[in-house]
Amino acid sequence: MSLGFNNIRFKFLELVPLFLLFFISLNGISIININFFSVNIHYILVYYWVLRKPQSLGYGFIFLAGIINDIMLGFPIGVNALSLLAVAAVAAYVRVVTVRIQLINDWVSFIPALIFANVVYLIALYYSNYSFDYLYLVKNSIFTFIFYPILWIFFSIFLNFSKS
Amino acid sequence: MDTNREDVGIAIRSAFLSRGTQQRFSLFVLTLLSTLLIFVETLESKPLNIVRSAVKDFVYRSAIIASYPSKSFSGIYIFVENHITLYNKYDKLIKENQSLKDNINKSDYLELENTQLRKLISEQIKSPNNLVSARVMLDKQSPYLNSYIINIGSNKDIKNGMAALDGKNFIGRIVDVNFFSSRILLVTDLNSKIPIVSKPSGSHAILSGHGKNALTLDYLSKDSKIQNGDTIYTSGKEGIFDPGIPIGLAKIENNKVIVSLLSDLNQITFVNINFGKYYKSQ
Repeated sequence: MSLGFNNIRFKFLELVPLFLLFFISLNGISIININFFSVNIHYILVYYWVLRKPQSLGYGFIFLAGIINDIMLGFPIGVNALSLLAVAAVAAYVRVVTVRIQLINDWVSFIPALIFANVVYLIALYYSNYSFDYLYLVKNSIFTFIFYPILWIFFSIFLNFSKS
Repeated sequence: MDTNREDVGIAIRSAFLSRGTQQRFSLFVLTLLSTLLIFVETLESKPLNIVRSAVKDFVYRSAIIASYPSKSFSGIYIFVENHITLYNKYDKLIKENQSLKDNINKSDYLELENTQLRKLISEQIKSPNNLVSARVMLDKQSPYLNSYIINIGSNKDIKNGMAALDGKNFIGRIVDVNFFSSRILLVTDLNSKIPIVSKPSGSHAILSGHGKNALTLDYLSKDSKIQNGDTIYTSGKEGIFDPGIPIGLAKIENNKVIVSLLSDLNQITFVNINFGKYYKSQ
């Protein structure tokens, strides 16, 4: 009985990142904006879970979440999917080449992920004839980078809790 | 050196091409698929539009369901916050009550304002024949795109380019039509460019949105006589909107003409869609 409950609890907790990913996409709240402060939680979520526990966040789901986000935000379909996959790609590469789990390693390697994702984003929107605020994108990237350790700690606590 | 290069190659292959543990798709395949979708988005064909409309309608309806928890959560939050701040509010209410008593003479003005607001609501409900009313389903004013999603689409003959009004005031245009929903690109968006004419100066220009910043008038002739307080109307020069739909008021700041909208975009629940040139009289 206890084993069954633990199994259900484990399965449920394993699905939490996935729920979160789709919840953010469907509510169109991938970017948290408070006055000057702006963070892309989608990037952090995808980067952390692909790096630490890829089986919780399949690439197919990341792609689908990106498509939903595009529809919700009115972008050409595929733009957000591509940038999220760019983040996932860097995370997957870092996962392959690193052994030790350390915040500082993850944090530093998050920089190329952000740059890569934003370049993909810029190119895709440029060729789709969409105007947008470039300065805002830079500001958003900086704050996303600064905010990463906070969510890293939060997700690590959650990950340890789900394992226990 | 060669060994290092080989290692990097193996790592890249492992990350991009292999499906990994419990992954159904490789990153490479999904990246190609995303690129293909962006390309397909630029193509216009009837079957593609049908698929796009169906997918978008499905996602919008799912989004409404998915937003219930956040709406409920914000409801609970407001409920708890109201209880916590009860005493402060009580204090504030006493002061407000006193202030209202002091300002009792202003009630005539409030009555007049109330009559005007009722008239405005009535205008929205009893729209003329070339207008159709719609409800705002989702208000997605993201940092990148300021837009509304409304609950009517091709089922009510909505077409791309039609003007969206709040009462009688212009607020945006239709940019994406699905079966049961459409997207309105608001005038404040970076991608919004609307040909306008100012009254009484009669100057023609393009009204450009700048996201959160104020709207500006571009391509205004150098000898334009536009002044503070001039009303900005659609000129209809693009051939879709009716000319003469009021948009906002001009204000000159640091030799730059900015426009303040007649409608508050954060307070809109219902919109009217103007059929413009698409209007077919019965």
